[in-house]
Amino acid sequence: MTTETDILIVGTGFAGLGMAIQLKRSGRENFIAIERAGDVGGTWRDNHYPGIACDVPSHLYSYSYLPNPDWSRVFSPGGEIQAYIRKCAEDEGILPHIHFHTDMLKSTWDEDAKRWVVETSKGTYAAKILITGTGHLADGHMPNIEGLDSFTGDVFHSADWDHSVPLEGKRIGVVGSGASAIQIVPEMQKLASELVVFQRSAPYMIPRWDRAFTEGERRMCRRDPSVVEDMRSEIFWSGEFNFAQRRNIPRFLNEAKALAVGHREANIKDPELLAKLTPDYEIGCKRLLISNTYYPAVAAENATLEASALQRVEGNTAYGASGTGYDLDVLVFATGFEAVRPPFATRIFGTEGISLDERWDQGMQAYDSIAVNGYPNLFIINGPNTGLGHNSVVYIIEAQVDYIMEALAQIDAQHIEVIEVKRAAEDAYMEKLDAMAQGTVWLAGGCKSWYVDERSGRLTLVWPDFAHSFRDENGTFHPEGYDMQPAPVAAE
Amino acid sequence: MLDNQPFREGHVTVNGVDVRYRVAGPDNNRTPLVLVHGTAGSIDGHYGYIFPMMAYRQRVIALDWSEPTGDTLEMADLVAQVKAVITTEVPEGPATLMGYSLGACVAAMTAAEMGDKVANLILAAGWLRTDTHQKMRNDVWRQLRDQDSASVTQYMTFCAFSPAFMNMRTVDDMKAAAGMLKITPFVEKQMDLNTRIDIAAACETIAAKTLVIGCTYDMMVPKHHSKQLFGAIEDARYAEIPSGHAVVHERAAELFHYVDRFTRQPDEFPAGVIIPAQKP
Repeated sequence: MTTETDILIVGTGFAGLGMAIQLKRSGRENFIAIERAGDVGGTWRDNHYPGIACDVPSHLYSYSYLPNPDWSRVFSPGGEIQAYIRKCAEDEGILPHIHFHTDMLKSTWDEDAKRWVVETSKGTYAAKILITGTGHLADGHMPNIEGLDSFTGDVFHSADWDHSVPLEGKRIGVVGSGASAIQIVPEMQKLASELVVFQRSAPYMIPRWDRAFTEGERRMCRRDPSVVEDMRSEIFWSGEFNFAQRRNIPRFLNEAKALAVGHREANIKDPELLAKLTPDYEIGCKRLLISNTYYPAVAAENATLEASALQRVEGNTAYGASGTGYDLDVLVFATGFEAVRPPFATRIFGTEGISLDERWDQGMQAYDSIAVNGYPNLFIINGPNTGLGHNSVVYIIEAQVDYIMEALAQIDAQHIEVIEVKRAAEDAYMEKLDAMAQGTVWLAGGCKSWYVDERSGRLTLVWPDFAHSFRDENGTFHPEGYDMQPAPVAAE
Repeated sequence: MLDNQPFREGHVTVNGVDVRYRVAGPDNNRTPLVLVHGTAGSIDGHYGYIFPMMAYRQRVIALDWSEPTGDTLEMADLVAQVKAVITTEVPEGPATLMGYSLGACVAAMTAAEMGDKVANLILAAGWLRTDTHQKMRNDVWRQLRDQDSASVTQYMTFCAFSPAFMNMRTVDDMKAAAGMLKITPFVEKQMDLNTRIDIAAACETIAAKTLVIGCTYDMMVPKHHSKQLFGAIEDARYAEIPSGHAVVHERAAELFHYVDRFTRQPDEFPAGVIIPAQKP
């Protein structure tokens, strides 16, 4: 049996849920969101490792139309963000629209019926419009490590934390030194008898200006919502200022670097450790991290910083590329996500019968960062060139939802059956983005990062400009980029 | 590798003094943007953010004021310098002229005098006529300066930034920022000129499409001045930034947002409109 719906959304994280809320608020009822897990929240549901928090202050990292006066801290813990997303879904009446434990397996365009046919783990759906909100940080990346099968201890990925594994007094290895690792490491250092951090490349780190809000401050936010609005504005525009660093302008890049160097040197006194923790590329080329606790943790007596990648495992011994081996009880892979080649793209097949992943064999690309030629009636939220190195992705998601809402209004008004972006428009958009990206720290900063597609050297993950200009340019629907076919008028 | 933007230095002689300016950014369908700094400013001091960021979008030209000969500084001295740079660098076509603080007053006067040579005008934290509130502040400044007091730069800093901006920093941070201000005889002349501004009649004649930007928490040039400019200039629209007077530092990215949108499409908002703030 096939479940029919006007609009099918894939995923219920900030993107999918944000889309669903606006559909609902606009009076639409004929939509379904499929969710592979048993709850909403996306990356905030999957990531529950010790120490998890967001790098964007909570008052900004939330929907603009659903402010939360009750955030406990400037940077609230992950569980609080997850509870917020859950509450948004409940309050907005979205839960009845969600089909949980429903994993998209294969979506194909049915040329005759002008519908997407979506096969899932729970049966088949047919939808006029398909919208993906699968996110950049959805599927954990596990490096292929020689001999990992032979490891005698416990192994898990940071995005799939096994809370049943006892950690107190254990010898723990953390693989990675990115955004997840630097939150996990301080927590592991407190528990472990010995802690080893396998660091492929040193990250830049700046202080985290975090603190708890008082009850009085929360009451102030409840009593006067304009206080929250002012805070959002303040945080957003402070973040926007920092785009000048990513743009790689010497004055601003050097200011950021001075902050990072000062933070490192204030925390790390051992010259050998300091050298290992000093990056060999420009600040911002890889994600700039914020932490007050990471440096003290790696400098602690029970911690060892192995300044090379984990290379192989033999029994209970894990070897860095340097050749040094460590006997360990637990290995935590904080090795990030499949961001550049998202797995959802292998499951969507367009008019030519090829998958989006194949179509993107030189890297992801989409017109207005949302639509791909050959994949009609499909909108991708938080897909190609929507990531940011300096501000809140929820802001980008809201701009993309606005775009789709305008597109849907036009589709309805003009009785459009098929909407497909023109290849020339898609290519012209990517050319513009390629030109904008030249000289930015992501391309010129001398690092290997998940922002760049290795196959083409193109910046495919990040929007290479201010966040506000994303909304200016991509927050409204551009019909001129699309071919739109009206539905045939039914015979009398 | 840092992205060192190519730029060109130029200079032009005005009434016997050398005026230096800088040019960067591509020639494209946007009108060249000429930037005029304010009191105690410079290209780097007031446009350290806007100049390089706008130069990724379009041709940008910015000048550093030169101290004219003579005991007092007059509006006409600074207008002549701006005119000379525009005439040299944008000889044919129209320019978009932006001024900040005293530079906004100079830019408005220049636009009035140059007619359609200045097609678009951006006035950030400028004013129409010096009022009692400003004269009172300027008088305190003068007394501190005459006492050769170190407090004068701290007083300037106190007046320049909004409470919200200061409260993200420590008193020592703010004092350090004050310590970087240098009061030269030329700055003293600018402060004197600030007490004598009256461009009301000229503003009535401005034909340029104008964006007036007021700053909500400005204690030096409170936003009612920007409202007066918004009223006085026929083809004006108004935007407000929640910042102190030092908007070029406090909310540089938001200022960029308005400048970028306006230079891309000056008629996006019709005359008389108060542009709503973006709610992120």
